[in-house]
Amino acid sequence: MEALKHAIDFSDFPRVDLFVAGSVALFLVLFPFFPHSSFAMATMIQFLMFSLYGMGWNTIGGYGGQVDLGKAQYVGIGAFTTAVMLIRWDIPFWISMPIGMLLAVTWSFIIGYPLFRLTGHYFAIATIATSLILKDLFEVWEFVGAARGLEILPFKYQSPDFLRLIFKEDVYYYYILLGFFFIGLLYVNWFRKSRLGFYLRSIKDNEDVARSLGINVHWAKIKTYAIATAFVSLVGSFHACYIKNIEPEDTMSLDLSILIALMAMLGGAGSLWGPIIGAGILLPLKSYLKEWFGAKAGLVGIDLIIYALIIMLISAFEPRGIWGIIEKIRQRRRR
Amino acid sequence: MDILFSSIIAGLLFGMVLALVSLGLTIIFGVMDIVNFAHGEFLMIGMYTGLLTSQVTGMDPLLGLPVAAAIGFGLGVLCYYGFIRYLLRGPMLAQLLGTFGLMLFLRNSALLVFGSEDRVVHHGVLVGKSFDLGMGVIIPATKLAAAGLSVAAFLATWLLMNRSRIGKALTATSLDAQGARYMGIPTEKMNALAWGVGGGTVTIAGAVLVNFWPVNPFVGLLFTMIAFTIVALGGFGSVPGAFFAGLVVGLITEIPGFWDFFTYTFDADWMLNVPMTSFKYMMVYVTYFVIMVIRPRGLFGWKH
Amino acid sequence: MKSMIRINVIFLCLLMLAGLFGPTSAVAADKVIKIGVIYPLTGGAAAAGRELRAGAELAAEIANGVFADLPMSMAKNEGVKSLGGARIELIFKDHEGNPTLGADLAKKLILDDKVDGILGSYHSSVTKTVSAVAEQYGVPMINGSSTSPALTKRGLKWFWRTTPHDRWFTKDLFELLVGLTEGKVQGVKAISKEEIMNLASACEKTEWGSHVSGLIDALAKEYGFKLKKSLLYAAKSTDLSSEVRSLKAAKPDVMLFASYASDAILMVKTLQAQKSQAKIIWGQDAGFEKPEFRDTLGDAIEGILTRTVFLPKVVEIKKLAGQVNAMYKAKTGNDLGGASARAFTGLQTWVHVLEEAGSTKPADIQKAANSIKISGDELVVPWSGIQFSTSGEEIGQNVLGSGLIGQYQKQADGTMGLEIVYPFDVSSADMIFPLAGF
Repeated sequence: MEALKHAIDFSDFPRVDLFVAGSVALFLVLFPFFPHSSFAMATMIQFLMFSLYGMGWNTIGGYGGQVDLGKAQYVGIGAFTTAVMLIRWDIPFWISMPIGMLLAVTWSFIIGYPLFRLTGHYFAIATIATSLILKDLFEVWEFVGAARGLEILPFKYQSPDFLRLIFKEDVYYYYILLGFFFIGLLYVNWFRKSRLGFYLRSIKDNEDVARSLGINVHWAKIKTYAIATAFVSLVGSFHACYIKNIEPEDTMSLDLSILIALMAMLGGAGSLWGPIIGAGILLPLKSYLKEWFGAKAGLVGIDLIIYALIIMLISAFEPRGIWGIIEKIRQRRRR
Repeated sequence: MDILFSSIIAGLLFGMVLALVSLGLTIIFGVMDIVNFAHGEFLMIGMYTGLLTSQVTGMDPLLGLPVAAAIGFGLGVLCYYGFIRYLLRGPMLAQLLGTFGLMLFLRNSALLVFGSEDRVVHHGVLVGKSFDLGMGVIIPATKLAAAGLSVAAFLATWLLMNRSRIGKALTATSLDAQGARYMGIPTEKMNALAWGVGGGTVTIAGAVLVNFWPVNPFVGLLFTMIAFTIVALGGFGSVPGAFFAGLVVGLITEIPGFWDFFTYTFDADWMLNVPMTSFKYMMVYVTYFVIMVIRPRGLFGWKH
Repeated sequence: MKSMIRINVIFLCLLMLAGLFGPTSAVAADKVIKIGVIYPLTGGAAAAGRELRAGAELAAEIANGVFADLPMSMAKNEGVKSLGGARIELIFKDHEGNPTLGADLAKKLILDDKVDGILGSYHSSVTKTVSAVAEQYGVPMINGSSTSPALTKRGLKWFWRTTPHDRWFTKDLFELLVGLTEGKVQGVKAISKEEIMNLASACEKTEWGSHVSGLIDALAKEYGFKLKKSLLYAAKSTDLSSEVRSLKAAKPDVMLFASYASDAILMVKTLQAQKSQAKIIWGQDAGFEKPEFRDTLGDAIEGILTRTVFLPKVVEIKKLAGQVNAMYKAKTGNDLGGASARAFTGLQTWVHVLEEAGSTKPADIQKAANSIKISGDELVVPWSGIQFSTSGEEIGQNVLGSGLIGQYQKQADGTMGLEIVYPFDVSSADMIFPLAGF
C-alpha cells in the first residue's frame, strides 16, 4: 500500500511537468479516436515499445550510471519464450510472458554476477559481448528455429484473441501496450524513490563512498539489472505477438541494444521522463525521415545521415539529453 | 597434421591483420579514454581509398597506401576538432553513443556516395597471389603483406610511444591530462594527433585489406566489434597488449580448423556434424568474457 | 515571458504530434490499379533491389502502353482491358532486408495506400512476414523471386509464387551430376560416379541458406551421393578462411554454395587463395549470379556453375526474351538477369490475373489467380507457363516453372558469360569439366 502511494505520488515535479505529462497521457489514451494512418499507429506502438525499453534501461543505465549495451538479449529471451510456447504448446501470452520474464531474470543473475565485477568500458563491451553470445547460440539452436527464427501465423487464430494477443487491428495492441506503459511509469516512479533507487544514485555519484556507507554495491547493481531485464523481456514477449516473426538477427541484434540506450540517453538518462521524451522524438523522426527521403532514388541513406547528425549534435552539446536542455532553461530562468 | 599447421599459421596471420585494424583504436583509447564505434568505418574509408586510387590512376592499390594514410590522418584530426573535442566533456555513455552517431554518419555517407555494391580491386601485385609453403599451408599474399605491415606498425608505434618526445607527451597526456597541461604539453594537439595517427593506421590497414576483401559501406561494424574485443582483451591503451590479443583472437577464429584436425585424427563422425563455423565469433566473445572476469583490466591493462 | 515559453513549448509539442496524422487515404483516381511493391532498395541487397525495380517497372511500362511487335498479350493494349484500360501504378517500398520492416510496410500499403495487391519481396525471410500480413488482411500477393520452399507450404490462400523454388533447383543440380555419369552432358564423356561422389556444402545461415543446406543433405541421400561436410556460415563474416579450410579438409569433388552478395565474392576469392581443387563448384543463384560477382572476380570464375531462371543465352532460344532484353538494356544498360527477369514475370502475372479477374475485388482476384493459365510463349523466362497449384502440399506454387544451370565461360569478346549446361536439350555450349582449379 505504501509502495502504491509512492508510485502514484508525482508531487516532487513542478506543476508544468505534470500538466504536460497529463496532456500527453490524455492524448495517448485518445489517440486511436483521431483519424490516423496505419503508419502513424505503427509509429505510436513503436514509440510505446521503446519508451518501455527505455524505462527499463533507465533503471540500471540512467539511475545507476552503468553503460549497458546488451539489452537485446533479453528482448530475445522474452520474445522466443512467448513464441515457442504459443507455437508448440498453444500457451497464451499471459502465462508465457511471466515465464519469459523469469527466464530472462534468471539469465541476468547468471551473467550479472561476473559482469558487474567489470567497470567502465570493459563493462560496456562485455554487455555487448554477452548479448552477441546469446544471439549466436540462438542462431544454431534448432528448438527455437535456429537462424530462421519463428513465425506466428496470425490467420490460425480468431482475431481478436485476447488470451494469445493475436489481433488484426493494431488498436488492441496499442491499448494493451499503453496499459503496460502506465504501469511501467508508475513502477519506475516508485523505484526512483525506493531504497534501491537511492543506493543506485549514490553508487552513480561515487562508488567508493557508497561502499563505505555500507551499501552492497555489487548486489544492488545486479538487482537493478534484473529489474531492467524484466521490463525489456516483457516488451520482448509483446514484440513476438505484435511482429509475429522473430529472428535472432533481428530481435537480438546489436543495433537494437544500442537503439535502446540511445533513445534513453538522448531523452535524458536518469530522469523519469527522459526515455519517454527520447523515444517520442527520435522514433517518429526516424520513421518519417525514412518515409520522406528513404526510397528516393539517388539519395539512398540521406535519412540516416540526418538522423546521425542529430545524434551527434545532442551527444556532443547536451550529453544529458533533451531533458538536460529543459532543465538548463529552467535553471537559467530561476536565476 | 596439415590442417593443424595451416590453421595455426592462418590464425596467427589473421590475428596480426586484426591487430593492425585494432591499433588505431588502442592508440586513441590510450590517450583519451574514448571508445570509437566509428573505427570500422575508418577502415571502410581506407578500403575505398585504396580501391579508388587504383581505379582512377590505374596504379597498384598498394600505392594508395600513402594517400589512405593522409586521408585517414586528415579525417581523424577533422573528427577530433569538429566533433570529438566536444564529446569529451560528456559522460562515457554520451561518448559511446556519439561515436555511434559518427559511425552511422560515415557509413551512410559512403552509401550515398559509393552505393551499396560490393567492389573489389582487380589488378595489383597482391591480388590473387598466394604462396604455397607445403604441408598444406597456403598464405594469401594480401594477408602476408597486412601481417608484415602490422608488425612494422606496432614496432613503430611502440618506439614512438616510448622513445620519442612526442610519444612521451602522448603518454603523459594519457596518464594525467591536467597535469600534462600544467607541464606545458599542448594536450589538445596531442589528442588531435592521437586521432590522426589512429585514423591513419586503420585507413592504411583498409588500403591493404582491399586487395583481398570486397568492400561495401557495411563492412565496418563486424571489424569494429572484433577490434573492441581485441583492445579490451589486451587491456585498454596497451599497445603490446593489443598485438597479443589480436593473435589470441586470430587463433580463436581458427578453432573450426582445430576441430577438423581432431575430427579427422580420431575419425569421429559425430564431430563432423557440430556446426563449429557458426560458433566462430561467439567463441571470441566468450573468451573475452571469461578473461575479463578473471582479469578485469585485460591481459596487459593498467587503465580502467 | 514565462508563460510565453510554456505556450511555445506546448505549441511545438502539438505541432510534432500533428505530424503523426497524415491524410488517412488518398482519394483513388479512376482507372488506376495500385500494386504495392516491396523490395530491398537500400541496405546490403540494394543492387539486387535496383534490378528488381527496373524489371517490375519495365513490365508496368509494357502493360500500360502498346508495343505491337511484342508477342505478349499485355503489350497489345493500354492498361488492363477488362478493367476499362485501367493503368498499373507501382508503389515502391524499401524493406532493407529487414522482415519486421517488411511487415510494417505491408500494413502501410494495405491500410494507407489501399493497394489492390502486393508484389515482392526477394529475401525469403521478408516474403514470409509480408505474406503473413497480406493473408491476415485478405490482400492478394504474388511473389516472383523468393525461393525458400517453406513459403508455399503454409497453406496461405492469398499468396502465389511464380518462381520455382529451391527444391527444384537443387534437384536440377543432382540431375546434372547424374547426367555427368551417364554421358548426357554436352562435351563431357561419361565419368564414373566415384569421381564426383563426395560433396561438401557451405550455405549462409538464415532462412534461405539453411533450407538449401537441408535440401542438399536430403537430395544427396536420395541420389546416392556422399555429403562429406555441410556447414552454415554468417553472411556478414569478416573472413571465410576457416570455412574454406574446413571444406577443403573434407576433400570434396563437388562444392555447393548458397551465398548472398559479398559473401559469395569473398568465398570464391578465398577458395582461389587457398588453391582449392574441386571438380565442380555450384552456387545457388543469388550472389553467384549478380553482375557484381562477374565484374569483380573476372577470369577467376571460369567454370563455376550457378542455377538461375534466366541468363542472356535464353535470348537465343526465345525471341521474346531478346526483345524484352533489348528494352531492358536500353533502360538500364545491363542485360536481364535472374532477379530482373523474375520481377518482370511477377508483375506480368499480376497483369494477367487482373485481366482475368476483370475487377479489383480481392475475391475475384483470388479466383482468377487460382484458375489462371499463362502459356510459356508469353514469358521471357524459359518456363512452360504459369499455373498455380490449388491443392496438395504446396498451395499457390507455380507448377510449370523450371530452372537452368549456367556455367561461366569465356565469351568471344573476352568477357565472362553464362552458358546453359542444363537442361541438356537446351544447352548452349560444352560444359567445362573438371574445373581447371585456381
